[in-house]
Amino acid sequence: MPELTYREAVRDALSTAMRQDDDVFIMGEDIAEMGGSMGVTAGMLDEFGKERVRNTPISEMALAGAAIGAAMQGMRPVAEIMYEDFMTLAAEQVVNQAAKLRYMSGGQLTVPVVFRTQGGAGWSPGAQHAQQLEAWFVHIPGLKVVFASTPEDVRGLLWSAIYDDNPVVFFEHRTLYPIKGDVPEEIEPIPLGRARVHREGGDVTVIATGRLVHESLKAAEEAERDGISVEVVDPRTLQPLDEETLVGSVKKTNRAVVAHEAVTRMGFGAEVAAVLQYQAFDWLDAPIERVGAKFAPLAFAPVMEAFVVPHADDVLAAIKRTVGKA
Amino acid sequence: MATEVILPRLGQGMESGTIVRWLKSEGEPVEKGEPLFELDTDKVTQEVEAEAAGVLLKIAVSEGEVPVGQTVAFIGAQGEDVPEVVAAAAPEEAAPREETRAEPAQEPAAEAAPAAEVASGNGRIKASPLARRMARERGIELSGVRGTGPDGRIVAEDVERAEVGGVAAPATPVVVPSGEVERVPLTSIRKTIARRLTEAWQIPVFQLQTSADMTRVNALVAKLRERDSEVRVTVTDVLTKVCAQALMRHREVNAEFTDDAILLHPSANVGLAVAAPQGLVVPVIRGAERLSLVEIAGVRADLVGRARENKLRAEDLGGGTFTISNLGMYAVERFTAVLNPPQAAIVAVGATEERVVPLDGGTAVRPMVVLTGTFDHRAVDGAPAAAFLQTLKESLEDPGLAL
Repeated sequence: MPELTYREAVRDALSTAMRQDDDVFIMGEDIAEMGGSMGVTAGMLDEFGKERVRNTPISEMALAGAAIGAAMQGMRPVAEIMYEDFMTLAAEQVVNQAAKLRYMSGGQLTVPVVFRTQGGAGWSPGAQHAQQLEAWFVHIPGLKVVFASTPEDVRGLLWSAIYDDNPVVFFEHRTLYPIKGDVPEEIEPIPLGRARVHREGGDVTVIATGRLVHESLKAAEEAERDGISVEVVDPRTLQPLDEETLVGSVKKTNRAVVAHEAVTRMGFGAEVAAVLQYQAFDWLDAPIERVGAKFAPLAFAPVMEAFVVPHADDVLAAIKRTVGKA
Repeated sequence: MATEVILPRLGQGMESGTIVRWLKSEGEPVEKGEPLFELDTDKVTQEVEAEAAGVLLKIAVSEGEVPVGQTVAFIGAQGEDVPEVVAAAAPEEAAPREETRAEPAQEPAAEAAPAAEVASGNGRIKASPLARRMARERGIELSGVRGTGPDGRIVAEDVERAEVGGVAAPATPVVVPSGEVERVPLTSIRKTIARRLTEAWQIPVFQLQTSADMTRVNALVAKLRERDSEVRVTVTDVLTKVCAQALMRHREVNAEFTDDAILLHPSANVGLAVAAPQGLVVPVIRGAERLSLVEIAGVRADLVGRARENKLRAEDLGGGTFTISNLGMYAVERFTAVLNPPQAAIVAVGATEERVVPLDGGTAVRPMVVLTGTFDHRAVDGAPAAAFLQTLKESLEDPGLAL
């Protein structure tokens, strides 16, 4: 099995799709010569030319709208929104147009567009360049939302997102770009709406996304030393949600921790907790624990940033609370 | 409010225990985790630790047999009052037995108190949804269950314990009379030995015997000791390993007879009969087929050491699938052991002694041991048992075969 970084895995999915399919193209701010602010699209201009690797003006609303228009005309555009924080500027197009057009046209239109974006703390980008805003978009009927945590997942999921006929908001995590992982020789599409069990366990299920998948795996190892067996599950697709796998796991372990880097309050984890308490109510032996960022703007100072967002020790503490060992 | 000290359940199936003596006296300060009293159950004698810090306000039961879950003492702040209602339900001697014999749900004062403690203003009992469902399905009244979760929440484990502990059957303690004949009162462990061995005697068993040349085992043990002087590997450890491997090859021996099926266990949990001061105990080395000799030696040393100090825990004793009884340290050439139910087999090991044996048309002096297997004929027939014993013999004579 070849090894790719998360960054290379994204690029591989884009390039492979563009090689085999003229309908697929990418657009975004500084994605051509510069290769994108995170270097994801580096080198793609040389291979595909500026018609298919399109630099756009610095207007998220304009570039999102252009991508939606192209999608309505039968293309499969992948638009890069440089920072998740800037999704706020694209929100009108994404929320009011992309998510609604298929419904409002009675199915006459489809909008097969992908909005790739990235965010996440851990490198002191301050309050405006590292938010985790997935909760804003999982709340919108008509959008699919993906958040991949490994090279293998990001490649297989992006492929499925490109070939889905609905608009997909595709979240990447800034600090995961350099991580390496084995990927299949050929791209294996990962169906949207299917969770991944990263580690099996019997005492408590940790449902984590993005960077927190890796933090949770570390916490699970620590917990194992205390004799607590932890199952770690990554939903991967936040909308639609693989409720069956999550609920099934919690019915097995009777305890749940939901972990993400986004602010805990009103976060994606709140919805997961609600799903679990309803569908697994009679199986729960402890309150569902939630791990996430504090309800505060992200701090610039590294120590304060680390204080605001959750890490493995926060997950471990939550695990221990669920088993009554805190 | 004073914290109640409840007679704990130390293992599955424990219904009552005998308080041997208190290690703290009334009025003495107690740290959380400090040994509070000695508790004799049908399996072990164990020190029970305080679950709260403070002053030991009152000892409600100074000694004798007490059902699981009964309040036996109170820990609290100096001068604090002990709750009236509970103290009344747990006087010193035999009086409360009749009450506590009743089902936990109907037990009036002693159980009502902890429930009241966890109840919120409207009298609702704090219990997890899973615990509630289990209690509903099993017909257990939550008001009679003591919660051990955070803030006294009743969790699934508590309901499971409550179900197992259904009815207590305490016996009247025997009084020692004066006279020529000394009466030794039966301890819980003695009663258990008697009951279990009587049960075992009713099982149709057969015995098979073989002898093995221990030359190579002795050499192996000597070599291992030379390599690692910290962990002293013994012949018993080799026997444990060899038995475990043989049990995995002959799974029909690693069995248990039940009314409608024979259970073949997936792992060899080998019990070692140990003569502890309080009587025979059989601590278990779990998954012995997966452990190295050095690992087995470590586990064995710990278990036997604690058995001799009377410090085995209930979990050390359960779950065995096979037993080794070794009287080789005494001058016993061979013996037959009584089955250790529900296990289907036990092997009795005599002393390894030098004997003249025929070898290559001549004779030689070799260290020989006699192994006697006792098998539950309901579960195992003669031929598979014989094959097991043969594997045992071959593996001892050439330990490499056990790999």
